Amino acid sequence: MNHTLTITANNEASVVERLLQVTRYRGYQLAGLQLTPLAEMAGLLITLTVTSDKPIHLLTSQLHKLYDVRELQLASADIAALRA
Amino acid sequence: MKGAELVLQVLQQHGVDTIFGYPGGAIMPIYDAIYASPVKHYLCRHEQGGAFSAIGYARSSGKVGVCLATSGPGATNLITSLADAMLDSVPLVAITGQVSQAVMGTDAFQEIDVLGLSISVTKHSFMVRSVDELAATLHQAFAIARSGRPGPVLVDIPKDVQLAEVAVVDVAQQQPENRLTTSLAQSAKARQLIANAKKPMAYIGGGVHMASAMAQLQDFLHQCPMPSVTTLKGMGSVAKDNPYYLGMLGMHGTQAANIAVQQCDLLICLGARFDDRVTGNLKKFAPHAKVIHVDIDPAEINKVRFAQVSFLGDMQKILPAIASTTDCSDWLAHCSSLKQQHGWRYDHPGERIYAPLMLKQLSERMPNNSVVCCDVGQHQMWVAQHMRFSHPRNHLSSGGLGTMGFGLPAAIGAKLARPHDTVIAVSGDGSFMMNVQELATIKRFRLPVKIVIVDNQRLGMVKQWQQLFFNERYSETDLSDNPDFVALAAAFAIPGHSVSRKDEVESALEAMFTWPGPYLLHVRIDEKDNVWPLVPPGAANEDMLMESNQ
Repeated sequence: MNHTLTITANNEASVVERLLQVTRYRGYQLAGLQLTPLAEMAGLLITLTVTSDKPIHLLTSQLHKLYDVRELQLASADIAALRA
Repeated sequence: MKGAELVLQVLQQHGVDTIFGYPGGAIMPIYDAIYASPVKHYLCRHEQGGAFSAIGYARSSGKVGVCLATSGPGATNLITSLADAMLDSVPLVAITGQVSQAVMGTDAFQEIDVLGLSISVTKHSFMVRSVDELAATLHQAFAIARSGRPGPVLVDIPKDVQLAEVAVVDVAQQQPENRLTTSLAQSAKARQLIANAKKPMAYIGGGVHMASAMAQLQDFLHQCPMPSVTTLKGMGSVAKDNPYYLGMLGMHGTQAANIAVQQCDLLICLGARFDDRVTGNLKKFAPHAKVIHVDIDPAEINKVRFAQVSFLGDMQKILPAIASTTDCSDWLAHCSSLKQQHGWRYDHPGERIYAPLMLKQLSERMPNNSVVCCDVGQHQMWVAQHMRFSHPRNHLSSGGLGTMGFGLPAAIGAKLARPHDTVIAVSGDGSFMMNVQELATIKRFRLPVKIVIVDNQRLGMVKQWQQLFFNERYSETDLSDNPDFVALAAAFAIPGHSVSRKDEVESALEAMFTWPGPYLLHVRIDEKDNVWPLVPPGAANEDMLMESNQ
């Protein structure tokens, strides 16, 4: 199943590596990645699309712990599925 | 002031007076600053040993441990220790020197991408690009290491940053970022589950003592009488006189603990994470139980076992909020009976030393509040089964990573953190050789660490699995050409003694404890002795193999 995550992160040199390392290690396959530097507060807007049969909360709960992740949102379809 | 001096100043601001490390080219400015600093540096003989000493210091004291290494091989030697601290949630700050920024990225001498290497083995890591960021970064490192679920943080500092001049600025210490609030919204539901349970069980991990909630735990178990079990890291959390404490659960747990957990109808998981060594076959673990899970790490909730009620945040606040009277006297009587029925037996035939009995004798003979540091393997499980501890800080065992070579350097750190308490490193003949060079650290600082080597001339735990699950094909587990451990200790001016008969143990322990300095007791045991019970891989925890089954 595909999941799309929208992440606002600090624009630190290693932040993308950290996101990808957690994604790989926790067993999710990368299906898409978009990066947009944000002018304000040296931020980075990241759209991460991943594929896995595992529940997506097992990934989001780990990504949330990354120190440079400020905000993380699941696409609305995923949220509806989680609430179901 | 130079950046290097600022590093030492920040350490002092955090109350750090003891650090462990090993110098080298890219960290020489910091070592130059150490030369004139009141912060005491303990030179270890390998960076892994230095970092394990910092871990032993942190785990035995509750403070943040600090270790140093140079770039390249110095930093890569830290990786195992960082991973160990990561999996056992140890607050650790590792400072590494890096080559100057002018040559970074050119494969310079002793250059390796330490920040990249650190990503999967640290809670967070930093590369300091400017001396103006140095103080704030170090303050952040301390804040992250000890906040929430503690863990290791690495700060990589290029040599030019260490050498750069910096104005002395009073950077406010950063407070730990508190992303968690303790919500007690579900406490009524938890109290109801506890009140209605016929067979409640407390499953206690290392998170309770790390939250400084030991007193709240005793109050909880007093207000809500129920049996309890602990993980390897939670051992010592329950008062020794609690009659319903059943011991460690899991692969080498007590029979009473494993049977009772399988039968319980409510499992209250406090600061633990349903590790595979605890649960055995997850699908068959505590199959009748509803779960209340209390933790500080949101990623642990519903990670491997669904919790009907969960709490995130401060254990000190949560435990009193969920306390409820219980009505389970039949269950308590049943668990007491299990405990009695499946007690340990020490009537081992023959003259050879039986390690469980020897460790029980050690446990009874050691002074109150002694710290026992283990290595990994059979002796580690025997220590967990047969020794009793009054606090989890008195039992340092590499739980998550299971790192051979942990015990001896961890004991060095523990002895420096708690100089007035007895510190004992219990090791196996395999593990001991993994960081044997740290005997030189004991010699240099005349540290009165007591070392007990449980020697079966085998990699015993691997051999046990080969015997049980690999058709007795003993591939590469024979260590019968071990060195003479007593002579080895003597080379480091550490006296020792070797025993192989049961009737020698009491006097040998007496000699070890009455000797004022470091001492090595070499204990020869039969290689046929194995660790029981054992839950085979893939089995449910009630399906324990016992010696009598073999």
